[in-house]
Formats: sequence, C-alpha cells, structure tokens
Amino acid sequence: MTLLRIDQVSRTFPARAGNAPTRALEPTTLDVGDNDFVTILGPSGCGKSTLLRIIAGLDRPTSGRVTLDGREVTGPGADRGMVFQSYTLFPWLTVRENIAFGLRERGAPEKKRHDIADAFIRRVGLSGFENHWPKQLSGGMQQRTAIARALANDPKILLLDEPFGALDNQTRALMQEMLLGIWERDQKTVLFVTHDIEEAIFLGSRVIVMSARPGRIKAEIAVDLPHPRSYKIKTTPEFVALKERLVEEIRTEALKVAEQA
Amino acid sequence: MRPLEPTTSKQRVAYGLAFFVLFVALWSWATFGGHVSKTFLANPLAMVQEGYELLAKQGFLFDIGMTIWRVIGGFVLAAIIAVPLGVLMGAYKPIEAFLEPFVSFARYLPASAFIPLLILWAGIGELQKLLVIFIGAVFQIILMIAVTVGATRRDLVEAAYTLGARDRGIIRRVLLPSAAPEIAEILRLVLGWAWTYVIVAELIGSSSGIGHMITDSQALLNTGQIIFGIIVIGLIGLISDFLFKAFNAWLFPWKLA
Repeated sequence: MTLLRIDQVSRTFPARAGNAPTRALEPTTLDVGDNDFVTILGPSGCGKSTLLRIIAGLDRPTSGRVTLDGREVTGPGADRGMVFQSYTLFPWLTVRENIAFGLRERGAPEKKRHDIADAFIRRVGLSGFENHWPKQLSGGMQQRTAIARALANDPKILLLDEPFGALDNQTRALMQEMLLGIWERDQKTVLFVTHDIEEAIFLGSRVIVMSARPGRIKAEIAVDLPHPRSYKIKTTPEFVALKERLVEEIRTEALKVAEQA
Repeated sequence: MRPLEPTTSKQRVAYGLAFFVLFVALWSWATFGGHVSKTFLANPLAMVQEGYELLAKQGFLFDIGMTIWRVIGGFVLAAIIAVPLGVLMGAYKPIEAFLEPFVSFARYLPASAFIPLLILWAGIGELQKLLVIFIGAVFQIILMIAVTVGATRRDLVEAAYTLGARDRGIIRRVLLPSAAPEIAEILRLVLGWAWTYVIVAELIGSSSGIGHMITDSQALLNTGQIIFGIIVIGLIGLISDFLFKAFNAWLFPWKLA
C-alpha cells in the first residue's frame, strides 16, 4: 500500500545576486509503501536533501505535490519524524526530555511522556544516560537520542538525512545495525538519504540512485537480501555485486559534478 | 608564558591581587612621596579614614542604599519592557522591521542628555532618576535580545517543527530557552552600564545617593571622599557581577556541562 506519494515534485531556488536560478530538483516521482525502507543514494548536490526537506514540509516544492496517506503535505508535522545530519538535540533538555519533546508538544501527561521516553532510551541503548545533557554525549549517542526522539513521536514515516554522516566508521556501522534492528522489529516506513553506497544497500529494501545537476532519479535498484541482516552480509557475493553496480552508477554522476565544478 | 597556555586557579588569584597591590603602591608613592599635591589626590590612608567618617558619621550607607535601589528599580523597569519586546522582535520579522530602525536610533541617544528634560517632566524626585536609567538601558536590551533571539539555530527550530511544535511552542520551548543564557548575559552587561547612568543622574539635582555625595565632596575639595565613593561603586559593581554570574551558572547548568 502506498503511504507516501511524491508526484512530479521539483524545486528551483530563485536567482540571487545576478546568478541564474538554481534547479535543485527536476520533477521527481516516487512512491513509498507502508513499512518500506527506501534509501536515496546520490553525490552531494543531487537534491536528495532538498527532496527530504520538501517531504518533511520544511521546504515547499516549486511544482508538484507530496501526499502522505492521501493528504497533501503543506508544512511540517508530527506525522513525519526527521533526523538531521547536524546534531539537533535541544542543548537545554536532558536526554529524556529531548526524547519526550514531541509528546510534550502534543500535551501528553508527564507520566506517559516519562514511560515512553524511557522505553526508547532502552531501545537505543542509552540506559543510564537519561539525565545527561546533550553536551555530555558522544556524536553517536546524540544521534541515537535524535532517532529515539523522532520515534517516540510515533510518526507515520521516519525521514533520515545522512544521520550518520558525521560519525566515524565503526560507530556508523553500529548505528546502522541498531536502526535496522528497530525497523526489523517495529516495521516503520523509513526514507533514508545517504551518499554512502554500503549504507544504502545494507539498510534499504530498495535504493533510489539520484543524479546530480539537475537532481533527478536515475535508477532504482531492489535489494533482495534477506532479513534480519547482520554486518556479515556486507562481505557476501550478492552484496558485493550490488555494491559494484552502484559504484558505477554513482561514479559517473560524481565525475559529472567534478567536471562541471 | 606561552600563547593560550592556561594558568592554575591559584596563580590567577595571585596575579589578580598583585595588580591591586601594585596599584595601591603606585598611589602611595605618588601621594606619600609628595609627588602629587594633597588638594588633588588624597593618599590611601586619608581615603580609608574619610570612608570611615562617611560610613560611621555621615550616613553614607543610606546613600549607597538609595543608589542601589535606583539602579535596580530603573533596570528592572527597563527589563520588564525590553525583554518581551526584544523576544518578539527576534521571533517575528515584521515586528523587527517595524521597531528596529527606531530602536537603533534611540539607542544612540545619550541617557545623560535627557536629564534636563526629565527634570522638567518628572521633577528631581525618584521617578526622574529611574527614568534616566530606564532610557539608558531599555533600547540596548531590546536590540541585543532581538539579535540573540533572531540568531537561534535554524536546525533546532526545524527539528521542533518536525516534532509537531506550533508557533507558540517554538517561541516558548525553543527560542526562549535557547536564548535564555545570552539574555541573562545581556542583562548582566547592561546592569553594569546602568551604574554609570545612575551616578550621572545623581550628580545633577539630587539630595541623596553616591553621586550626590561625590558632588558635595567636590565642593569641599575632599578628594578622599570622592575616591572612596568611586571605589564603593566599583566594589558594588564587582559584587553584583559576581552574583549575576553565579546565578546564571546555577540557572543554566546545561551550558557548563
């Protein structure tokens, strides 16, 4: 069943200081089904973050429309949870208060907020850090809190914009497994933007490859690897074959960008 | 000494005190040594003695109390008006466009130049003193807070929106807490300026306060009392600054963690 429908969505940033308008995203169409895990893969500047921001309602499309459950997206809302690449925990709130932020905005009673937040703290492995300030956490822990904060709101779809982009490789691999574990258990609908090929394959049920300048969908590749997936899958022949194919796709795009620059 | 190399806290205290010792030593050398005439500059001992006289016999504590009350009164009035206005200006761009040009202009009007006008309007009573401080502080606070609130991290605001926050929630639970430590710092800074306005206000048309005592002492050529008065102002400023800092640190533990 289609949950999210992206229908001919484009985005052009208006001209500024004598420069021509920038076409960040060509008209793009994409359907995301219930409980799907879709990864969007592309080089920087391909409009993948712009697309995600439009779905979140933080940016408006120049043309086209986005519908969630048949209702048009006109602005940000709690039904679309988002995790950003930058660390966006509220520094004045503790881990628990951060995770309960959305519940509080909706007026949930304190006891309920507390219980839900604590459940998610356990899920992302942050027990014992409930009362820490974000400043006291490592980058990986901050992003785990950010994921818990988005999930605690029980959104219909989870949007992730390169959430592990600033983390080191080891932490990143652990975070991928954690996120996949949550998805395998809870069956959430997830849209995950990344420029990391391995990450896109490991997490996604399908990988949408985007091209740069102008940004548009170039290819869609199904990932038929069985679940639950463990990190060991990354060395199987099937995984490596997919990776080779995607490396080629991305490389031509990256070259195009490099030549234009 | 190497660039940016930290010192221990003991060293800091020692260096800080050393300057005061050096300062008093220079002062003593100039006055006791007869390099500066007594008429122009009292020596440290005379200053302490005059200070004791002031406190014990001339009711200087009352003057100090009056001055503190005026500073705090005018400052609190200014803060009550300026903080909400500044927050609104920072949050809503049309309000900022409406008020910013005037506030920027008014900020440069010297509070002390209003004193003759304020005497005309409000007499030489307490209201006039409070108004001088109010005028000196209110525009500064508005503008600085507007800038601070306007500079709230966009990604935090966006994160709050995606968590279902509405405009009210954004202001109360994102913009305000995010700007709060800065707002407290701004108030601390402006309180320091308010001290200079109050003395100027008291120099003219006043019958009490530290500034009034200083004008009186000038008529009597009592430099010891003048210096004592100035030092008292400095000490009160130092203490209020320290209290403000400690209060801020207690209020915003997440800043320090």
